[in-house]
Amino acid sequence: MTMNPLPSLPPATGVGLRAPHVRHVLEQRPAVAWFEVHSENYFADGGPDLAALDRIRADYPLALHGVGLSLGSADPLDYTHLAKLKRLAARVEPAIVSEHLCWSGVGGRHYNDLLPLPYTDEALAHVCARIDEVQAYLGRTLVLENVSSYYAFPEATIPEWEFVAAVATRTGCRLLVDVNNIHVNARNHGIDPLAFLAAMPRAAVAEIHLAGHDDSGPIVIDTHGAPVAPEVWTLYRAALARFGRVPTLIEWDTDIPEFAVLAGEAATAQAILEACDAVAA
Amino acid sequence: MPSLRDLQHRFAAALAGDAAEGDARLAVYRNAVRANYRNALGATYRVVRELTGAPFFNAAVDAYARAHPSAGGDLNVYGGTFGDFLAKYPYARDLPYLPDVARLEWALDEAHRAADGDGSPERTLADLARIPGDAVAALRFALDPSCRLLCSAFPVLRVWQVHQDGHAGDARVQFDAGTDFVLVMRDASGVAAQRISAGEFAWLAALGAGDDLAAALTAALAADATFDLGTALRARIADGTLLRIAEPA
Repeated sequence: MTMNPLPSLPPATGVGLRAPHVRHVLEQRPAVAWFEVHSENYFADGGPDLAALDRIRADYPLALHGVGLSLGSADPLDYTHLAKLKRLAARVEPAIVSEHLCWSGVGGRHYNDLLPLPYTDEALAHVCARIDEVQAYLGRTLVLENVSSYYAFPEATIPEWEFVAAVATRTGCRLLVDVNNIHVNARNHGIDPLAFLAAMPRAAVAEIHLAGHDDSGPIVIDTHGAPVAPEVWTLYRAALARFGRVPTLIEWDTDIPEFAVLAGEAATAQAILEACDAVAA
Repeated sequence: MPSLRDLQHRFAAALAGDAAEGDARLAVYRNAVRANYRNALGATYRVVRELTGAPFFNAAVDAYARAHPSAGGDLNVYGGTFGDFLAKYPYARDLPYLPDVARLEWALDEAHRAADGDGSPERTLADLARIPGDAVAALRFALDPSCRLLCSAFPVLRVWQVHQDGHAGDARVQFDAGTDFVLVMRDASGVAAQRISAGEFAWLAALGAGDDLAAALTAALAADATFDLGTALRARIADGTLLRIAEPA
């Protein structure tokens, strides 16, 4: 598959739009460069949530971010799910449709969480075939995100960063580099976050995610419930130095604060982004 | 080397296992999965959660998720049978109205997500005016896609109303107030639930099931001898419950 032109999100900072902030955004039209929503939250047949998304889409660039496709599962792809994603994408014409490099269920049972893949040759071939299948069905390039994880399969034979890079190289999909997830995995699995960044094929990187985590226990948990940590800002600078000015998103999903807090995080990221001199190759 | 499927089944088995066993890293996933269902159902079943308290509610959701595991990737549509589950949940026996409160909350949730209706009262009235008098009895109507009908032996609508934010005044509920017939529907201002008569309930249920006007009238009169067809027809065309005249079956 040949690479399509880079999706048309502005090289600026957006905010992950969650239900508690929709009314605020509709009424105040805050100066945010773009928004991203969870695809599944707009799978409805109709109703006020979709109508609100239409109005937001009229004023802002939009990205769709899937959390439930279970792309890496050994089960067959769920075409009922994919059909809803395709219907939504046709309706709102998003700049990006992204999914996670993970699985969520097996044997017909769903766990509705982002579960880690065993990084093996079989899993790589399987995930690549599935991305080909989804890209063909949706008729567009998919963007894949590296996930945070707490468990590493002892059967793994490929480092995560090589797995992620190979997925992009083999399928022509783009990458959503979640810098916080790299930090979380670096801490949990003792890997080098800069080596992870260095392994990403630069031209494939279409988006960056930033979020907060919980570092208070023996395992770093990707809660999306706190400000971006200082180490993650540092890693973000390193990511920009490598990838150039990539559209960047602030995510916050638990203990969601008022919108101004998210806008503040986005402004911090925007300042870092604008200070970045590098241009992606 | 075990296959991808084997490895995923092994991981899934560990997820379903006892929280006390296995390593702490798997417990992170176990807790996350449990929290996902508690949060998802907690958002839909706010009043049930308020009636029972969070610890009871969370335990009920955990039991529900074990008995009726999710089979799809969209949590927004998971949990539709929670009311039926609560009806058989032994620990909820002292709250006999709880299953119907849950069913009402699910109906409201479904109405919120339903397709947008493609009719208008003006068009329905104009279409109706063109129907010859002797053909009216055989008419069928399409109900608005958001319509849900719910009948309970308990005053569930009142229970739900006194647990809404901003409810002021008397919060007492008369539990022997009689059977509640509730119509849930979404209009331009949002989803609303209203109490309707037994006759109108039977009439709308029959129309919703595809019965013609004559059969629906028979059902309505059987439930309530004072049911007035003209009044009901005018009111339910005007508020969009009867979306349009359906094509003949």
